[in-house]
Amino acid sequence: MKAVKGKFYFGGVHPRDNKNLSKAAASEIMPETESVAISTQQSLGRPAICAVTEGQTVNEGELIARGDGPVSSDVFSSVCGTVTEIKEMTGANGATETFILIKSDGRNDKTYLQPLSDPSPEDIKERIKQCGIVGLGGAGFPSSVKAAPGTPVDTLILNGAECEPYLTCDYRLMLEKTDEIVRGARYTAKALGVKNIIIGIEANKPDCIAAFEPYDDIKVVILKKMYPMGGEKQLIYVTTGRKVGLGKLPADIGVVVQNVATVFAVCEAVELGKPLYERIITVSGKAVKVPKNLWVKLGTPISEIVNFCGGENFAPKKVVQGGPMTGVALASYDAYTHKTTSGILLLSEDEAAADEPTPCLNCGKCADVCPMRLMPMNTAFYSAAGDFEAAAKYGNTAACIECGACEYICPAKRPLIQAIRKTKAYIRNKK
Amino acid sequence: MDNTVVISTPPHVKSKRTTRGIMLDVVIALIPCAVMGIVYFGWQAAVTELVALASCVATEFIYFFIANKGFSNKCADAGNVCKRWARQFDFTSIVSALILALVLPPRVHFYEVIIGSVFAIAIVKMLFGGTGKNLVAPSTAARVFMLLSFSVAMNVYVRPAVGAIFPDSDLIQSSATNLSGLLVSKSEIYSQPIVLMHPLDLFLGTGVAGSIGETCKAAVLVGYIYLVARKVIKWWQPVLYLGLFGIFAVFLSGFDYPSYTLDFSLFLPHILSGGVAFASVFMLTDYVTSPKGGLAQFVFLIVAAILTAVLRYFTNLEIVSFVVVLMNLLVPLFDKVFIRKPFGYKRAKKQKEANK
Repeated sequence: MKAVKGKFYFGGVHPRDNKNLSKAAASEIMPETESVAISTQQSLGRPAICAVTEGQTVNEGELIARGDGPVSSDVFSSVCGTVTEIKEMTGANGATETFILIKSDGRNDKTYLQPLSDPSPEDIKERIKQCGIVGLGGAGFPSSVKAAPGTPVDTLILNGAECEPYLTCDYRLMLEKTDEIVRGARYTAKALGVKNIIIGIEANKPDCIAAFEPYDDIKVVILKKMYPMGGEKQLIYVTTGRKVGLGKLPADIGVVVQNVATVFAVCEAVELGKPLYERIITVSGKAVKVPKNLWVKLGTPISEIVNFCGGENFAPKKVVQGGPMTGVALASYDAYTHKTTSGILLLSEDEAAADEPTPCLNCGKCADVCPMRLMPMNTAFYSAAGDFEAAAKYGNTAACIECGACEYICPAKRPLIQAIRKTKAYIRNKK
Repeated sequence: MDNTVVISTPPHVKSKRTTRGIMLDVVIALIPCAVMGIVYFGWQAAVTELVALASCVATEFIYFFIANKGFSNKCADAGNVCKRWARQFDFTSIVSALILALVLPPRVHFYEVIIGSVFAIAIVKMLFGGTGKNLVAPSTAARVFMLLSFSVAMNVYVRPAVGAIFPDSDLIQSSATNLSGLLVSKSEIYSQPIVLMHPLDLFLGTGVAGSIGETCKAAVLVGYIYLVARKVIKWWQPVLYLGLFGIFAVFLSGFDYPSYTLDFSLFLPHILSGGVAFASVFMLTDYVTSPKGGLAQFVFLIVAAILTAVLRYFTNLEIVSFVVVLMNLLVPLFDKVFIRKPFGYKRAKKQKEANK
């Protein structure tokens, strides 16, 4: 359908997006590495329970860990080989995770599910669950939960905003796999029983907008270029005009949001029976020699990915897994990709500002840009004094989506997100 | 990869704006006013500005030096303290110094300027915790302090070197100290408010006896445009304050006519006379001493505008710095009352109805 403009949204920041570094690089398939280390913590919720033993031979796509509970997802092997070790290691975010180390043996045997032709809604829901699909935008919310909402829904929104700077993997995916995304969206819509499919794409990707316009059943909405336009609540408001209430889910107002990469995975799961063990990521930043968009298998070591991209230009100041606004800073290359890893960024000193914080000026810029209309400076002020109750009350921390816009804009470089997370952790532990 | 990587919470990219950069922008925005002050009021104005600058920065340095124990026996310590001072220096003392100098009358004595500067930085700013912690704007508080302490010197206004374009001779002569070109509203000689100066003269400051920097409104306008272009202040803040103030002042002036009349020709003279224009751009928009969030700022400026209009009408004095200090003291209250509701928030009552 002809693209229409989205509704106006206040606030937000406009960081330099640096997408030109990797925008033109067509996606490549990264060759299989010698060994992979797959974490059992691949989604929100509890880690999956290991279903293999050391020394066991597995095929590509074989189940190696079973989801524990409804918001946990199954994990699949990404290579053919032998399980060499199952051990606890420190994950990217500092928490201890169980990793399953698999040594590749060079075979090419794939264990896929039976492809479905003309599936019923129940079949699709079942398939999404079987293939361990989670939201690939970053949060890692299992798609099977989203595909079976408790309340009636009427709209499926595809998130093609990709508002994070640097990342271009969704952009490449939308250009190269347009048809698969549309088919995946139709399957997802069928599972949900909705007719209305909307895709939101930021205005800085006109070729993607043009690519989706020919499909008659998909409404294309052009979003203003702003961070965080791809935030779930922001996207829903801009595309449909509905507001998600505090503490509510999008399904409560009849909307389900899926990332474009997620619906692509749904398409592969339905048509090929392929479980989710591979995804597209962006390797970018000024410190990496050749920025690329890569199809990477689950559990690939970051060091191998950096080597495949030609290595470092110079020593990076920060290594980020994910986007620069919400991603995790890595202490070393000794980490492995997850289902939710959307990028590996090697940021130079110039890009990754690490200035010393100066006193807060009360300028209120953090409140001006906050897409949730919160007052981050109050959280920072009261949490620094140790009064987390007041921090949560005056800063409305519970509604924070941790987009990082406040800390981005802060002229005093105050660590606002740190204060917000501390406050949230305090409130969570108190309950 | 060597050991130099930094780990921190996101975001990993940050804007290039810093406190120092913003304060430097304010300094740049104040330069037109400072230059026009020297052009209009001669070398004494330049001396006032330089003395204020030097004494403010020196006060801040000495306070920092003492507070960080620079006076220990080791020379290396003193050197370190100096280095640390240079690293944390963020131009806020220069902004305070310039604003203070610009709101003083041109013939104020230099030692009075020094006392005012020391009061502004040492007592109003540093004692409360330095940058970002002061309750009232240092420069405004110092002006009030000086007005009460040196009331004679602080009330001597002279005419600028550049004469009025539209001289209305006898009116100007008869009002030697017309307080930056204020209206004489409740005069016994005239039965209605009269405008002492042509609005164009008030705008350019030609022939208007006033403070060093407040006199030339054209320079204030240049500073306003610069600050808005650099996104330091919001464009609507001075416009809202000045507009509302002008309207209220016109309403109140109506009582001075034999029968109540709304005379909107008084609008421009009201907003262009005195220090309201300067205060609206540089004082009421000060980050530290204005409330946070758009709604709170909106209400803050409305209250300030009403207060200024009412107090000016009843006192016939240049009252705006008192209003700014008073409003500054109300800011913590504004911050407590105006907590924004998050996106998607519904009032408790409505939510109950929705649940039914």
